[in-house]
Amino acid sequence: MPTLRPLGEFEYLVLLAILRLETHAHGFGIGRALEADAGRSVSRGALYTTLDRLEGKGFVRWKLVAGGAERGHLPRRVYGVTAKGLAAIRSSHQALARMSRGLESILKHPDA
Amino acid sequence: MPPSPPRLAEWLLERRLPRDPRGASIRGDLLEELRDRTARGSSQWARLWYWRQTIAILVRSAASPSDVGQGHDGDPDRRGRSARALDGWAVDVRSAVRSLLHARGFSTAAILTLALGIGAATAVFSVVDAVLVRPLPFADPSRIMWLSEADVTTGTTCGCWSPTAPSISIAWPDFQDWRAHLTSFADLAALRVQTFSLTGDAQPERVWGRQVTATFFHVLGVRPALGRMFTEAEDRVGAPSLLVITDAFWRRRFGADPAVLGRRLVVNGESSEVIGVLPASFRYNSLTNDAFYVSLGRTATTDSGLLDRGNHNGLSAVGRLRSGVTEAAARAELVTLEAALRRAYPNTNATVDGQLMPVADRLANGVAPTLETVFGAVTFLLLLAAINVAGLLVARSVSRRRELAVRAALGCGRWRLIRQLLAESGLLALAGGAVGLVVAMVLIRLLVAASPPGVPRLDEVRLDAGVWIFTLAASLLAAVLLAAFPAVQSSGVGGQQILVRSARDDRSGAGQRVRRVLMVVEVALAVVLVTGSALTIRTMRALTTVDPGFDPSHLLTVRLFLAPGLDDAKASAFYDLVQTRVRALPGVSNAAFTYAVPIDGTQWGSIFIVSGQPVPARAALPSASMVPATAGYFETLGVPLLAGRLFSAADSSTSSPVAIVNASFARRFWPTGSAIGKRLKQGWPEDAGPGFPWREIVGVVGDVKLDGVDVATPLQVYMPIAQHDVESAVLVVRTAVAPAALTTALRAVINQVEPTVPVDQVQTMDDMMGAAIARQRMTMVMLTGFAGLALGLACIGLFGVVSHGVTERTREIGLRLALGATGRQVMGLFVGQGLLTTAAGLVIGSALGLALARFVESQGVLFRVTARDPIAFGAAVLTILLVSCGASYLPARRASHVDPSVTLRGE
Repeated sequence: MPTLRPLGEFEYLVLLAILRLETHAHGFGIGRALEADAGRSVSRGALYTTLDRLEGKGFVRWKLVAGGAERGHLPRRVYGVTAKGLAAIRSSHQALARMSRGLESILKHPDA
Repeated sequence: MPPSPPRLAEWLLERRLPRDPRGASIRGDLLEELRDRTARGSSQWARLWYWRQTIAILVRSAASPSDVGQGHDGDPDRRGRSARALDGWAVDVRSAVRSLLHARGFSTAAILTLALGIGAATAVFSVVDAVLVRPLPFADPSRIMWLSEADVTTGTTCGCWSPTAPSISIAWPDFQDWRAHLTSFADLAALRVQTFSLTGDAQPERVWGRQVTATFFHVLGVRPALGRMFTEAEDRVGAPSLLVITDAFWRRRFGADPAVLGRRLVVNGESSEVIGVLPASFRYNSLTNDAFYVSLGRTATTDSGLLDRGNHNGLSAVGRLRSGVTEAAARAELVTLEAALRRAYPNTNATVDGQLMPVADRLANGVAPTLETVFGAVTFLLLLAAINVAGLLVARSVSRRRELAVRAALGCGRWRLIRQLLAESGLLALAGGAVGLVVAMVLIRLLVAASPPGVPRLDEVRLDAGVWIFTLAASLLAAVLLAAFPAVQSSGVGGQQILVRSARDDRSGAGQRVRRVLMVVEVALAVVLVTGSALTIRTMRALTTVDPGFDPSHLLTVRLFLAPGLDDAKASAFYDLVQTRVRALPGVSNAAFTYAVPIDGTQWGSIFIVSGQPVPARAALPSASMVPATAGYFETLGVPLLAGRLFSAADSSTSSPVAIVNASFARRFWPTGSAIGKRLKQGWPEDAGPGFPWREIVGVVGDVKLDGVDVATPLQVYMPIAQHDVESAVLVVRTAVAPAALTTALRAVINQVEPTVPVDQVQTMDDMMGAAIARQRMTMVMLTGFAGLALGLACIGLFGVVSHGVTERTREIGLRLALGATGRQVMGLFVGQGLLTTAAGLVIGSALGLALARFVESQGVLFRVTARDPIAFGAAVLTILLVSCGASYLPARRASHVDPSVTLRGE
């Protein structure tokens, strides 16, 4: 397996959001999920740039779905994670997991 | 209806994002989220969010076009030189953003200062644009001239505008000669504004309209939206009465009925047919809401007075220049023809000349000088704001020398450093411009709401493309100013030198000098603005202390239009009855009728002769304001009786004709003797018959300001209203209570006596006095506001410079104190330094202020105040001195409290 360039933190979060959202993984949904669950405000400029970069790396692909009246009948891009993308997530996740081994008590109870 | 995104933001996105599914989906996402956010919270916040995201997306797509929504089909190495150069700029912009965000306090202060300057300038510009710049709704309006005739008794004949050649309107026979002989014009039309009584199918009302010749719409290049205009054949005596109505009147009176053609209205008692409707875009003069246009030619009957070459009956003319003919050539031809008319008709034309100006200048209604003055002032404010921020930037670049030096030492080129600084100032200026637009939107509303009456086309004021361009230009100007100083300054020294020198902590050189020069300019600009404000305040004072000749408080006025053709006896009875009933109202102490109410303006000026004195040549006959009034008029207004008696109920249509004249009149004709018992006759010397009786002067009263506050008092002749019928009259009521409280009761009384009389606006005299000086008041308020802002900015600037000087010279101060200088001496050193800067600014500013004040004076904006007014200049200089003392004092005091042992130990 070729070595993957490590994911940036924001890229990692975006990929996780796409995995969680499944069929709702479009720009609007991803932005909302990041703001709600990752608890950070997300500039849409940064979000679309990141999605394009992930697409360029071959980690995500999208298909076009017709949009309804709620978005002025403009189309949606619904994202999915590719096999290569999944491998990148795994590699990042494992790296994090290895690094946090033994730190569970601190990570779970930051006040302890 | 679902919320829609801000239009401009949406448009920008549409323009900047690729026109493919990627771009479309991004816009869809934003729209969906906007609606979602609106549903969950406030729509304002949602719109703000939309704007923020739009800007974020646009910045990214501008910074590197391949980033947003474009995938990665562009190989970075194959993109052209310009794209790579753009990348370089993008990096600069990004690092500028970062550096500005880092210095948040500095950025906020700079952006707000700029926003204030740009916002104020944009707001004033948008008014200037609508009122003076934007073309009129006519075909090729710059080719249309406005023409009139002027009385040149005291002036020279030049066909131009001058205070010594007042417009007297055109005599109809002169106009006929113009049409026959002037070759400069493709076509000429005469017009006259009038009010008309509408009766017949609905509520009687009084409307504005214009009598025009058939050529009028031809000259303006306007075609009807419906129906047709009247023809030359229908513009003659004996033709039926036809109406060409305006779009607004069509909507109001006929509910935009497309079948309006052929409908009839009773206009001034004459049945008239609607033959055409004008397009909605057409409007001749925004100050009168014309209801319709009727033929002027058909009113030129033998008894109309129009055929007399000596009668100037309110006509003016418009003409379209033939192609290739200049304004100057047309004026020359007009002046030549008028000279010929003077020779041909010496009796009537001896002192008459033609006048000509572009129609746009005429329709601007004389507000150009005021607006240009205010615009000039706001430009100064904008400059001042930019210079203030430039000062801040210089200070910042001084304290950033180390950072810049490190970069230079690490191999960053000079151009690259300058570019970074340029990016910062550009960003600051653009941000200032953006916030300035918001400021402008607020200010525009305030400006339009607070505008004095008589400013045309105010309803056209808006933020349009021209205003956007102006804002952008103002921001760019600010950017250039901002960039110039720090860029020049920090590019001078090589990296190594700075590094070495900054280690020696020698920073006070160039930066301080540049800032002090900026400060001098700033103080100079502030002096100009404060002087301007002082001059307008003095003008206002002069205006408000003019004695109007009567007591304006507790007076209520209302103009009434009697039904046309009402005979004199009935009219008199109407006046008597209303007057009696109004006097009986509780809270009313007196009431009377008059034809012309003070301040509001002369309604009737006429030639007259007096008995026992030689009749002057026809061209030199005197004229006076003729004012028919009822008994009790002078008592109601509080005009003092100087000799003889006032009118009484005994002065009726059957008693002998009498008149009362004002003091100026008596002084002019009987400088030594008494006017009482002398006689005068209104009209031409040869006019005779029942309409032109010799009147005995029975009284002399004080002068009253008839035409506004700032116009010289004319000769005035009063006569009993019963002895001269008028078609409209003003009821003046002296009240014991607040005048406005009586409005309803007054209307009720009038309606009770005569339900068909349209009651015009009820106004208090205080309001009319206020309106008469509203233009000057507005100028004063705005200039004073700008001056206040200028003072504030200059104060902050000076404080900054002196304060910075203290910080940089702490060591030196410590040394001085250690060597025996007192705190007072050190304080004096710094206050003196601040005052020296101020003094230089004062000298330059006063010189500049004097030059500009002369210009403002020549524009007629001042009243009873000269451009060299010592009080205004003294006050301005004193204010600036006081403010700069204050601004230097605080940091100087800090210097005197320096503890020498602490500063010197730091070495």
